[in-house]
Amino acid sequence: MAVKVAFMQLSDCWGCHQSLLNNHLGLLPVLPALEIVYWPAVVDFKHDSLKARENGSVLVGFIEGSIRTNEDYENVKLMRDKCALIIAFGSCSCYGNVHGLANQWNKDDLVRRKFSEVESIADGSGGEPTEHTPGFRDKIVPVDEVVNVDAYIAGCPPKPEGIVSAIAFLLGQKPFPMNDLAFCNDCSIKDNCLLDTGKLCFGPITSIGCSLKCTSNGNPCVGCFGPAKTVDSRAEKLIGMTKSLASISSGDKKNLYEFLTLFLNIPLMAGFDLAGDILKQVKKYGSPSTPLANLPPTTEEIAGGLMAFLRDNPDFTEISNVCDTCPRIIGSKSTMTRVKRDYEGLPNMEDCLIEQGYICMGPVTKAGCGGLCITVNTPCSGCYGQTKWGVNQAERFADTVLKQFNVSLSKDDLLAQVKDPIGTFEKFTLASRKGGV
Amino acid sequence: MVKVIEVEPVTRLEGHGGLRVVLDDDGKVQDVQFNITSTRFFEKFLEGRYCEHIPRITPRICGICPIPHHLTPTKAVEDAWGVKIPPAAYKLRQLLQNAKQYSSHTLHFYALAAPDFLLGPFADPALRNVVHVINKMPDVGKMALKMMDFGQKLCAAIGGKSVHPISAIVGGMKKPLDEDVRDKFLKQIEDQVEWAKKTVDIGLKVVEDYWDVVANVGVVPTYYVGMTKNGIHDIYDGDIRIVSPDGEKFDYPPQKYLDALGEHIPEHSYATHMYYKPAGYPEGIYRANTLAMTNCADKMATPLADEALQAMRAKIGNISHHTFAYHWARLIELVESIEVIATLLQDDDVVNTDCKTLDVQPREGDGVGITEAPRGLLLYHIWSDAEGICKKANLLVATNHNIAGIEKTLMHVAKQVFEDKALEGLKLPDPWIK
Repeated sequence: MAVKVAFMQLSDCWGCHQSLLNNHLGLLPVLPALEIVYWPAVVDFKHDSLKARENGSVLVGFIEGSIRTNEDYENVKLMRDKCALIIAFGSCSCYGNVHGLANQWNKDDLVRRKFSEVESIADGSGGEPTEHTPGFRDKIVPVDEVVNVDAYIAGCPPKPEGIVSAIAFLLGQKPFPMNDLAFCNDCSIKDNCLLDTGKLCFGPITSIGCSLKCTSNGNPCVGCFGPAKTVDSRAEKLIGMTKSLASISSGDKKNLYEFLTLFLNIPLMAGFDLAGDILKQVKKYGSPSTPLANLPPTTEEIAGGLMAFLRDNPDFTEISNVCDTCPRIIGSKSTMTRVKRDYEGLPNMEDCLIEQGYICMGPVTKAGCGGLCITVNTPCSGCYGQTKWGVNQAERFADTVLKQFNVSLSKDDLLAQVKDPIGTFEKFTLASRKGGV
Repeated sequence: MVKVIEVEPVTRLEGHGGLRVVLDDDGKVQDVQFNITSTRFFEKFLEGRYCEHIPRITPRICGICPIPHHLTPTKAVEDAWGVKIPPAAYKLRQLLQNAKQYSSHTLHFYALAAPDFLLGPFADPALRNVVHVINKMPDVGKMALKMMDFGQKLCAAIGGKSVHPISAIVGGMKKPLDEDVRDKFLKQIEDQVEWAKKTVDIGLKVVEDYWDVVANVGVVPTYYVGMTKNGIHDIYDGDIRIVSPDGEKFDYPPQKYLDALGEHIPEHSYATHMYYKPAGYPEGIYRANTLAMTNCADKMATPLADEALQAMRAKIGNISHHTFAYHWARLIELVESIEVIATLLQDDDVVNTDCKTLDVQPREGDGVGITEAPRGLLLYHIWSDAEGICKKANLLVATNHNIAGIEKTLMHVAKQVFEDKALEGLKLPDPWIK
């Protein structure tokens, strides 16, 4: 049975949709599984038809774009009402994107430049158009400032393969093996269960069937065989542990993230972050054949709790960044002695761009793109979003590169040489309250 | 009683808009509005940015045509700073621009426009879309997908990313094509040229089927704006060309754009209304995009495309006001783009590593860059300070050039539909997809 999906566009560029379409022949297997109930860019359903639908009756709503106008604001709320799951689709929706840079000015300044001052206005007309237009909000915000978001697909645009994988995942096209029994039944550790020693082991909710490599080496089960149909009694202990994660280290947070990725069989693509109530929503509204809707309640509680925790405590410092996917040499023969502008010289293809003197956002940007910009000799500008929120992003960049790269500049000198720090370090995320300080 | 007909939103396009037609008591068309309901103020927030970063920001204006939005501001900054790029960079950019033209025109024809004429105007809206076309005509659908895929992959190979490319830099290109990658694309050229020709044949059949519509609906004389290089059709470089409704041609170098192009701020749309300044507003309202380009050009740049242009002119005249002929003109441009791609892929300059000049120095001043984007003339005017930081920017964006012309056309068609009942006697073919 085809699953109902809706695509909404707010203030944006259509690039995420173009990226989805860039799958071209790769779309053919996915399309029959979708019943598209709203997608103005491609199909002819009008706004009223979405309004007329029952609340919660659409399984997945993809929202592209950020909120600039009152119409955008209303459309986000409408989508939240109609869709069981809301996916913030692309970096506009996740972070605000480049047009969030407009938040440096008052709305009146923006309106004056565009509608009164530009040099080509030639007939004395001017002023904000107000007849049958929606009006602008004071500041641009991403979608999660207005409604709850269930999953994020970052990137400007997100990679085509990532989008299709995410859709296939949400529609249950990537089935889990779902064996009957839990890993604990097979576990190679007979005494001193790791859970009793305070280690987070996901054996009680994970399927049997693996080679037991982790526990044979004394390490906890990380969930790579996916959920089991039944859970082991030790799951109670696991629930208790996952409820007291307040002082968890950054490294353990990384483990949680990787556990969820393996356990839920999320296609390997950073940038697709599950958040919050996705499992409950799928169970309530999803197609009954979706494996996500058939998890044992205990499993759902544990996995769902971890997702909510990661949503509320976002910190991806230890999770892969763009440098991890970059083939260039760090610790190369080059050293940054001053900050170069992008038009200067022509970097070689081997050495790290930072060490060659350029500002490259790779070390502070979430992985997921595969380092596309770097393949054409161009520094990363950060479109997948920062690996850490709520910090001064310029300082964090400087601290990171001084520690990890060949840079012979003081932090002050480095920062003083960047004349447009906001456009350089927060180009995609200025509008997100999660972003900088 | 006054009757208001609203289309909300207008679908199958990039952007946000609605349509309003107001009829008075006697059924006469009182007002037609094309309401564009979003804008993001790039004209302001580019201020304070490094000029060389602008081409990394502005592609986000349009995800279907990010390549012109990458190349055009790069050209504007080069104009402001007095930078000359190496010939290899020029050809790489030309190739990139044409790769985009090829995929965008294919997308437009098959995914956005074709559902109208393959299913017919009275089809169920739930089915009138590209997904249904692919399901019902899988061979044509797959061919279209392979054409778009070729164009987008070539964009990605040169631009780094097909959506929001990054490889152009003030002074040239950061990297040429790798030879093995070039060879891979060359191998596919023969098929692609065949498919482009096949697409033209499909287009000609549609024109024939819908001739009554093409010849009689929305035939609206306006001015036209486009770009030509020495009078020849060109989408990467050239001068602004204006064509008057009766076919008179006027050329302006990019830097003189303010003599030609005026902007009127309407009360009902965030997209402004453009017009030919010497003719005033609203008399000087012009249209942009494919038919405007073929109206502007003395000839196409390549043989097959020029042959196709001559065939169109034989049927609808040297200067055509037939709105439905935009699709036809698009296919002529499609053929030109694949011919240009074929030629450039065989040119060793596209794999030449001498594609970036080291002689780049910011200086105070302003510069203008233009290209022809898939949906019309694209113009960036950028003011730089001595350190190369943007002081001010003015953007005249492709689709925006067409808004006033579209509204004027809609008014004409609304009168045809509601007052003259012109649609009732139209001859329409049996839909290809039922």
